[in-house]
Amino acid sequence: MSAATLAPTSAPEHARVVRAGRRRVRVSTVLMTAGVTVTTLIVLLPLFIVLFTAFKPTAEVNAYPPTLLPDAWTTANFERIFSDLPFARLIANSFVFAGGVTLFAVAFDALAAYALARIDFRGRQVLLVAIIATLMIPFQATLIPVYQIVTDLGWVNTFAGLIVPRAADAFGIFFLRQFFIGLPRDLDNAARIDGASELRVFWQIVLPNARPAILTLAIYIFVNNWNDLLWPLVFTTQQEMGTITSGLTQLTGPGGIVPYGVMMAGALVAVVPLVLAFMLVQRKFIESIATTGLK
Amino acid sequence: MKRTPALVVAPVCLALALAACSGGGGSSDSAGPVELTFWHGYTEADGDVLQQIVDDFNAAHDGEITITTQVNPWDVIDDTFLPALSADNGPEIVAMPAERLPVYADRGAFVDLDDFYADDEATPDLNAGALDMVTVDGTAYGVPTGFVPLTMFYNQALFDAAGVAVPTTWDEWVTAAEALTIDENGDGTPEQYGLALADHATVGNGVWPSLFYGNGGAIVEDGEAVIDSPENAETLEFWHDAITAGKISPTGVDGVSGDSLFSSGRVAMYIGGPWMATVSEENGIDYGIAPIPAGPQEQAASAIGVSMALTRQADQAQQQAAQEFFSYFLSREESVDWALGSGWPPLRTDIAADEVDENPVVAALTEQAELGRPLLPGVVNSTDVLTAVDDLTQRAMAGEPVDDLLAQAQTAIQAALDD
Amino acid sequence: MTTAHVTGSRKRAYRAPAPLGGRPDRSLQRTRTGGRRNRTALAFLAPALIIMAVFVAWPMVSALQLSFTDASGFGEAQWVGLDNYARIFTDGDIRDAVLNTVLYAVIFTPTAVVVALALALLLTNDRLPLRGLFRTSLFLPFIISLAVAALAWSYLIDPQVGLLHYWLRGIGIDLGDVLQDPTLAMPAVALVAVWKNFGFYMVIFMAGLQEIPGSLYEAAKMDGAGAWSRFRHITLPMLSNTMAFVLIFAMIAALQAFDQIYVMTGGGPYRNTQTVVMEIYESGFRKLELGFASALSYVLLLATLVLSVVQLVFFGRREKES
Repeated sequence: MSAATLAPTSAPEHARVVRAGRRRVRVSTVLMTAGVTVTTLIVLLPLFIVLFTAFKPTAEVNAYPPTLLPDAWTTANFERIFSDLPFARLIANSFVFAGGVTLFAVAFDALAAYALARIDFRGRQVLLVAIIATLMIPFQATLIPVYQIVTDLGWVNTFAGLIVPRAADAFGIFFLRQFFIGLPRDLDNAARIDGASELRVFWQIVLPNARPAILTLAIYIFVNNWNDLLWPLVFTTQQEMGTITSGLTQLTGPGGIVPYGVMMAGALVAVVPLVLAFMLVQRKFIESIATTGLK
Repeated sequence: MKRTPALVVAPVCLALALAACSGGGGSSDSAGPVELTFWHGYTEADGDVLQQIVDDFNAAHDGEITITTQVNPWDVIDDTFLPALSADNGPEIVAMPAERLPVYADRGAFVDLDDFYADDEATPDLNAGALDMVTVDGTAYGVPTGFVPLTMFYNQALFDAAGVAVPTTWDEWVTAAEALTIDENGDGTPEQYGLALADHATVGNGVWPSLFYGNGGAIVEDGEAVIDSPENAETLEFWHDAITAGKISPTGVDGVSGDSLFSSGRVAMYIGGPWMATVSEENGIDYGIAPIPAGPQEQAASAIGVSMALTRQADQAQQQAAQEFFSYFLSREESVDWALGSGWPPLRTDIAADEVDENPVVAALTEQAELGRPLLPGVVNSTDVLTAVDDLTQRAMAGEPVDDLLAQAQTAIQAALDD
Repeated sequence: MTTAHVTGSRKRAYRAPAPLGGRPDRSLQRTRTGGRRNRTALAFLAPALIIMAVFVAWPMVSALQLSFTDASGFGEAQWVGLDNYARIFTDGDIRDAVLNTVLYAVIFTPTAVVVALALALLLTNDRLPLRGLFRTSLFLPFIISLAVAALAWSYLIDPQVGLLHYWLRGIGIDLGDVLQDPTLAMPAVALVAVWKNFGFYMVIFMAGLQEIPGSLYEAAKMDGAGAWSRFRHITLPMLSNTMAFVLIFAMIAALQAFDQIYVMTGGGPYRNTQTVVMEIYESGFRKLELGFASALSYVLLLATLVLSVVQLVFFGRREKES
């Protein structure tokens, strides 16, 4: 008896049936899926570390050999944050600050980008380059002059001081302008011939088609401001005006050193509202990218 | 078309309305009490005691002086203080790590306090090292709020297990560390180290200065760089050899990771700040405190200092009020309270260890207080000097030739001093 | 005209815009007079320009003024002419910081762009299952702050307690103390920034990819073009606009590297990760030399501007060729 005859004869047939039943799976697809899965797991590892370390007691944080999951789960790190910080107030401040900046900046950036992309006015190339050039100076260099202006306006420790200086930004203008310029012109030109005003073209034709870009920019601005540390730290001296990100610096430990678990719990607490907000819009965000396209 | 500008401008108006609804900051009118803002980074038990001292002071000066404290952790105080003070919107009193004071004083941020110190009734005798750290070019610009020598913390349980006595000299120190270093699985990486000797960004930047002093060396003396000395070369070689030969300490450790290594019980001895007592207790480490073992020449330790200063935005009345607070803070009773509450030794030289022995850590530190040496007193560009020291020690521990490194450090430090 | 109608009837003809609008827009109907157009444009630009004039342009002018003085932030500043600029070009530490920054940008920019593009290509491939899940997961690092990312990575690769370090040792790879290693520290901090930012670039690329008409690929397939050839001759040229945007933006970000370096290495070991913005921060906020910090900022701005223009010219030329 040969080895081949030992095998149940039905096996190859069975396999063929299964294969015919499904769509044929190519080797390249398996490889691709495996590759993306591994990459995703590596990418997520630091996030798991943040998540699980937040629930570790300090002794375990420094234990050797290290483990991913806590042995003894604890919520002590979180309790410390909730007891030491005016948590609800800080989160609310973060929403007002990051939300306010996002609202204004997206609106103002879109208007400016429209003019730069769609209205053929004199000096627009120069203006565009000048706007982009402002991105190239590190903000550490202008922080002190900006602070002086905000102080002169009496805006330190106010939402105005936090929001207004950021109510328009070069990145957003550049980003949206790149998008607007790629939208087909047929429609807005037709509308213009019909006598529509530029505002009407902007509002009824360009904006609806620009939703994915607007959403992308909104997420970008919201995330960056939510996570910004130095800005709220410098512009608010009263703890109750700080954001969650700046508020976390108020957590310290003996010798000014915050236990690592507490730091991770703080990071988690600060990012959860952001993840929730992202989850809320991400479906819309992904859909609109897939259907409309974004450049 | 006509509607365009109106609609476009609407959001701007909204932005301005948002701004308009916010009130301005407070101002100190001559009518009411003198108001002072005090920024500091005391956030633990020390923060509570400081708040109590300020509250008591306010109560005692009801209707005359009101001090409001605001916590600005030491890590971020440089980031927030500079913009605020440059716009005259900062505090009148600010506390900061002592080695940061000279640069602000030199740039004109602080009011000179020579008159305050000239008044013997207002100012008691204070630790000389602490006073050095508030003095720039012979002028006093601040009042010390803390001055504590680095000390050696040791893990009692590990010492008992190894049957080792607490070392008092460098040689004993290395021998003890070798006995306390355990590599069970023999993979060349010990599971337990005798010592965690940080080689950069050390606690209070003081580990290496302490070791240099021990062998009779120094970094800066009388405004001149003196780091390139045979004594310092010996010190670096001694510790490099000890660490390489016996693997008694992990390498690449800094102050923060050193703290966590000791508090996780994996290191038997550690040079640390007074907060290591609290950290050890929180982590269930049975610890002891001893002076840093004596070097071949001397027993000395670099000190961690904190100083408070009066900023230039304070007007005449505020300056007087602040000085009144300084006197109150330095009074005998408050000094004892502050020492006990903060866990740092008293700054007044007339308070002996037995007056603070209800806190044994403070009593132990008070006995060691005379070993403390100020870190880079009066050095304006301490940033570059400390970077040069870190560079030196980290490279030396990695095995680069010590003589070249010292010569480079000498040049870099002298350049920073000449700035 | 309703929104739905507009979206639905939109023609999806591809028209690659110039990266910076290099060519003037000829398709615009010149039905209005120049003056009126200028006024309309101004009305649209006004809100953004007012904000940016007050809170961006004016502070930049202030910083430029400061760069010619020895300002410290307090008291009187003395005019020192070009001294600060002269110091930049003679100071060895600054030269090292410039070289470090270039190294960082050379590691960060291509890596981030390649990783983002590769994943964008995979995630727009219909054969990949669970695309939504992957997309969301890969975007997540972007919403973490760079400081937290830096803390998490530092912890993972810590030689004493790091989980990744421990795992890798288990399979025979000893990383050593990466952040204290003079050669590995810079790649490490650059890769943390790649990890944090590629998700955003990926999303931009995905959008760009969706825009490329499928008919182009089908035609190429019929001509017998392989996958690489299709990528090289269709995807890349059609993406050049997106690519220019991402590259320039990534480069600007790279040249301003600060956050994770401040947290992870503080510029060490031996100043090997000290970047230009670290120097700016240190001179401004630690040594209270605002004048010098401002001068350094302006040199950085000019260098970034030159590099951006070089890239734009490159992309402009490529576009003409294709």
